[in-house]
Amino acid sequence: MIASKHILGTFDEALASLRNNVLMMAGLTERSLDRATRGLFERNDNLCLSAIADDEEIDQLEKQMDKDGVDILLRFQPVASDLRRVVSAMKLSSNLERVADQATSIARRARKLNQHPPLPEVDLIRPMHEQAISMFRDGMDAFVREDVDLGCAVVQRDEGLDELNATVNRKLVERMAQDPEQLRGYLNLIFVARALERVGDHATNMAEEAVYAAAAEDIRHQNLAARA
Amino acid sequence: MENVVMETPEQTVMERLELGTVPPPDAEIPRAHTFEVKNLSIWYGEKRAIDSVTLDIASNAVTAIIGPSGCGKSTFLRALNRMHELTPKTRMDGTVLLNGEDLYSSAVDPTIVRRRVGMVFQKSNPFPTMTIGDNVIAGLRLNGVRNRKLLNERLEKSLRMAALWDEVKDDLHKPGTSLSGGQQQRLCIARALAVEPEVILMDEPCSALDPIATAKIEELIHELKGRYTIVTVTHNMQQAGRISDYTAFMYIGRLIEFGPTTTIFTNPREKQTEDYITGRFG
Repeated sequence: MIASKHILGTFDEALASLRNNVLMMAGLTERSLDRATRGLFERNDNLCLSAIADDEEIDQLEKQMDKDGVDILLRFQPVASDLRRVVSAMKLSSNLERVADQATSIARRARKLNQHPPLPEVDLIRPMHEQAISMFRDGMDAFVREDVDLGCAVVQRDEGLDELNATVNRKLVERMAQDPEQLRGYLNLIFVARALERVGDHATNMAEEAVYAAAAEDIRHQNLAARA
Repeated sequence: MENVVMETPEQTVMERLELGTVPPPDAEIPRAHTFEVKNLSIWYGEKRAIDSVTLDIASNAVTAIIGPSGCGKSTFLRALNRMHELTPKTRMDGTVLLNGEDLYSSAVDPTIVRRRVGMVFQKSNPFPTMTIGDNVIAGLRLNGVRNRKLLNERLEKSLRMAALWDEVKDDLHKPGTSLSGGQQQRLCIARALAVEPEVILMDEPCSALDPIATAKIEELIHELKGRYTIVTVTHNMQQAGRISDYTAFMYIGRLIEFGPTTTIFTNPREKQTEDYITGRFG
């Protein structure tokens, strides 16, 4: 990522520390999301509780990232690619924290669902889960590898996830009408689907930040298909 | 008849952008150029200090020249008012146009050029034997101005423009050297302004000043650019980012990159620029 060392070694150390914190935060967030969704699919309350417990550490890391970022801006006044990396890392941490919040939300809904007999409609969530988690991983990869093409590809996949969410919502609403006894359960699944859709939105933001950090290009609020 | 696109308050910004009635935020606004420098090369004896530099300097804007020591930035600055010619054994090639006029034409008097293109140096250099007031109007007197009323008017106007009037108006009879370093530098700027130049060149004007005096000079530069074209050399990257509209990066006598300051400091095109401004070589 960094072509050559700065004359000021402490600047390199500060940038490396910021980057390590992003990677650690991304790792924890991915683990939390994985535990929450497995807690749902495997009906495992312990996994759900672990996901909820992870959130506090991720919150602390977000605060640390902000502090480190401000410290770098203050002490080193970065410019060019250094400036873009610092700004993007700070924005990325905010998105990671929100993904972790969505993981917590999924874990809480899963715990409620686990108290009742299993609903076969949980399987409707699986394609959304796969899409959201792959967008999250690729968004993070795009940032780490400064891969503009991958970043743009992630952004374009968000629409597909939104459509999946709409389909899941429609089917679950139909099921609510057919089987009002399970209304609470279906409602919890709708909230899980919405949380996964939000994960996709944050992955999109992360991919956009990756493109900005790598190429100084602001691709937010653009029609990327037209751009290509 | 000209095709006029009507704009209504109801139109969204996006609609207006599409109609072309609002420039997009990153649009480059075309500007007039005070200097047009073409293929400028300068030699000190056998050593080439500037190597085929071509650069247009925008009017009523601040252009900063940055680069490591010995890259030719001060020589380039001095070439804009022929001050480099004061160094023995200099030779130049190329053209420098000031508002369309060739500065190096045989018909042009270098002293007139230096009146049109004023200069402020790294270290403030008020005339040590002169009072504050006499320092400001020294250039006018040298040019034969004797009208006391005009001299007084120009004295006050220049000191006001240099943001120094309020601090020295009761001490005009005191020696220029009695002022603080920052005040002396503003006195030198007032002296440069008194002869009503078209351009002000500044060669590291704040490098010998404390942060407060530096801030005052930077604020002054910001105010002066409404009336003058300003070209400044600086080693302070943050200062270049703060005060300039355009930045030129020079290295070993060559112009490596030139563009809007925001672009140079967020997304430089050339790797050498990036490496220099991010502190990877110097």
